[in-house]
Formats: sequence, C-alpha cells, structure tokens
Amino acid sequence: MELFNAFVVSLQSVWNDSGFAAFTAGNGIMILVGLALLYLAIVKEFEPLLLGPIAFGCVLANLPCTGFFDEMGVMMAIHYGIANEIFPPLIFLGIGAMTDFGPLLARPYTLLLGAAAQIGVFVALAGAMIMGFTVQEAAAIGIIGGADGPTSIYLSIKLAPHLLGAIAVAAYSYMSLVPLIQPPVMMLLTSKKEREIAMEQLRPVTRFERVVFPIVATIFISLLLPSIAALLGCLMLGNLFRESGVMDRLSDTAQNALCNMVTIFLATGTGMTMSAEDFLVPQTLMIIGLGLVAFIGGTAGGLILGKIMSKFSGGKINPLIGSAGVSAVPMAARVSQMVGMKAKPGNYLLMHAMGPNVAGVIGTAVAAGTMLAMLK
Amino acid sequence: MGHPVTTNPLIIMLINMTVVFIVLICLMYMIKLIHIVDPTKPKEEPAPAAPAAPVPAPVPEPEPEPVVEEGIPAEVVAAIAAAVASCGASGEIRAIRPVNRDGWKQSGRMGGLNLG
Repeated sequence: MELFNAFVVSLQSVWNDSGFAAFTAGNGIMILVGLALLYLAIVKEFEPLLLGPIAFGCVLANLPCTGFFDEMGVMMAIHYGIANEIFPPLIFLGIGAMTDFGPLLARPYTLLLGAAAQIGVFVALAGAMIMGFTVQEAAAIGIIGGADGPTSIYLSIKLAPHLLGAIAVAAYSYMSLVPLIQPPVMMLLTSKKEREIAMEQLRPVTRFERVVFPIVATIFISLLLPSIAALLGCLMLGNLFRESGVMDRLSDTAQNALCNMVTIFLATGTGMTMSAEDFLVPQTLMIIGLGLVAFIGGTAGGLILGKIMSKFSGGKINPLIGSAGVSAVPMAARVSQMVGMKAKPGNYLLMHAMGPNVAGVIGTAVAAGTMLAMLK
Repeated sequence: MGHPVTTNPLIIMLINMTVVFIVLICLMYMIKLIHIVDPTKPKEEPAPAAPAAPVPAPVPEPEPEPVVEEGIPAEVVAAIAAAVASCGASGEIRAIRPVNRDGWKQSGRMGGLNLG
C-alpha cells in the first residue's frame, strides 16, 4: 500500500510540474498558429529560412513551465541578442555582403524610387494612430511597410518592445508574400505599354566607386542619424567586405556562416516572443491589417514615382522598377522582373530593379532613424 | 522614453518623407561626385572627327595560336579562353602552361592563409 501511495504521489507531482497542467487554450491556439506557419514554410516554401525558425520558436514559447527566461540559458541568450539590438545589425552585415550596389551606383536617380516607396510607412503610421495606438507604437507598426525585417525588429525594440512578436511576424509574412501582394498593385497602376518598356544597359561601375560609396554613405548617414549607425554601418561594412576584393574570407563568412547563424537566432528569438498572452490580443490583428496597408502603400508610392520618372525620361524608365523600392531584397526586384517579363518576354528588369531595391533598404533605415530622432 | 516632438501623423509624415528624400538626394549627388572624381574610370572616346577619305581596310593578320603545353586538353584551353573573354580582357592568350607548384611555394601559400 505504501508503495502504491508513493507511486501516486510521485505521478501527481510529475503531472503538477508538467506543462500539461499549466496548458491553456491560448497556448493551444498559438501552437496551432506555429504549426500553420511551419506548414507555410515547409510545404508552401514561403520564406522557409525565416518562417521556419519563427514558427518553431512560436511553438516553443507556448509550452508552459519551460523556464526559458527564468535564468541564463540558450533561450535567454537568444532573447538578449534581440532585446539589445545585436542581431538586426549582424543580419545587415550579411545583407551588405550579399548585395551588389552596382545597379544603384550606375543609376543614382533610382534612390528616389527607394525614397518614394517609404510613403507606405507613414500611411500605416497614420492608420495606426487613428486606431488608437500611441505614436511610438504606430511608428513601429508603420515600418513594416519598409518590407525590411531587421529594421522593423530594430525599431520595434526601441519604440514598442511589447509589439515585437506581432510586428516581426507581420513584416516577415508580408515579405514572403511579396510575389502575391505586389503584382495586382503593379497591374492596377501601370499600363501595358509602360510595363513593356525595355531599359538601356547599365553603365559599368568601377571598383573605386564600389569601394568608396559604402565608406562615404556610412560617414554621411551616421553623422546625420547616429541612432541607425549600427544598422547602416553593418550594411556598408558587409558591402565593403564584398567589394574591396581583399577581404574575401570575411565577405564569405558574413554572407554565409554568420548570416545563417544570426538568422537562426533572430528568427527563433522572434518566434519566442509570440507567447499567447502577448500575441492573442486584438492589436495583433490590427497590426497585421496595417502591415498589409503599409506594404500596398509602399508599392504604390514607388510605382507612382516610377511613372512620373518614366514620363520625364521620355519613356526610358519602366515604372515597374519603382515597386522594388520597398526593400525586401531581392524578392521585390524579382517581382518587377517577373511582371515585366509577363508583359514582354525577354524584357529583363532584374538588374534595373536592384537599384531601387537597395535604395529601399537605405531609405527604410533612414526613415527608422528619423522616427527614432523624433519620437524616442 | 522621452517626449515625442509631435504626435500629429501628417506632420510626422511630412517631416520624415522630407528627410528621407533629402538624405537620398544627397547620396545621389555623392554617387555622381564619386563617379566624377574616380581616377580609374575609362577615358571617354573622343568624338569622331569629320569623315576623312575612306581608307582601305587593312587586311587583318592571322592571330598567333597560343602556345599550349603538352598534356593540357583542348576543353581546358577552351574553358580558359572563354573565362578570359567573359572578364572583358582585350588582350590575347599567348601561352597556357601549368603552374609549377613545388613544395616550398605550396608551403608559403599555406603559411599566408594564417589559419592558425
């Protein structure tokens, strides 16, 4: 009998300490959300490298009694990297090392398209304020329109850390849905004749220009907006690794090993912020809706300026490259290429769209820096 | 968190878009300036002068065949020639021969990697 009692007490103790005893309906819903995101990542291949770890982090965050954030361990260390703005600049280091700034240097006026596409950020900001978010929360939500995951995370940590999970998920979800969201807006705002415009070959860019630009841009923008010096400095440092021609090993590490490692940490850590108590609130739905508005607004802004530039250039610029002004490197440029090819087979817009695409990354970082200066 | 400068979304939008455009326009001019001062850019071809009397086109001399050392297959020669041409090199391939990798040179290269 004593043995039986001890057995029952032990079982009861195991049950009481288990996650099952503390499991809530909210946890169940969030685990289903995590599984749905995993499905999108693995089966539908929507940004699997990002959505996969985000989704798994979401599942982990909703397992009760794990004590992830009670004492220092791997999960707390990952969270530390997010909460202290360590990972977003490191991701930018990899992006810089992977990105060719040549098309931007060959056609500097495409920077204007990257600037115009930021309008979506402020349309969403206004919408969020109308819906009752504070100005800081609205700014963090609006930056989703920049279609730049690391910058969205960077700004939300600084202005609205409690919204990080919803903002990151919205930003990365819409980035993965760029091929679905942008084409209807592009078709709506451009005529077939405009979409068929074939652009002239880009001029060759010298190594001197490629090396000097990241240095000059870092000094200028970081002096003007010091709050984004870490983000922009890492982007340009990565690009300098790539273009200098003498730092190939660093470039290789930044764009492969380091970028992959930081992606795992950043994405898993972002998923870990999606706990039921933080995520299952009405604001999350609003943020996801506003993110879509921001994305569409940004795409439209770039396209409209693209149309204006096309008119002024005498039809030499295909306005489709304007939609690539919403960062999302290089997905948005690929969408410009795809829609251009559909209108006129053999019309290669990819390299032309990379200019506004890179400009969009810089533009979103500048918009984030300006908002930090104004609102923090 | 400090006090925001303004909470009017329209003013925030106007100020931000102005700053974004100004910064990116400044960058645009910086890129143009870098291009202007670039000492390595290829000199632009001078504009063609007034058309002169037609000169009979010189008969092109046959290009000398590159010297290819024994043991290098024709596919390798073709691949090297294609790679050189794709880099935009304007010269010609004079010779193709395997690099003499003796032990000392190899050791020097490994040392240069500084993997330790």
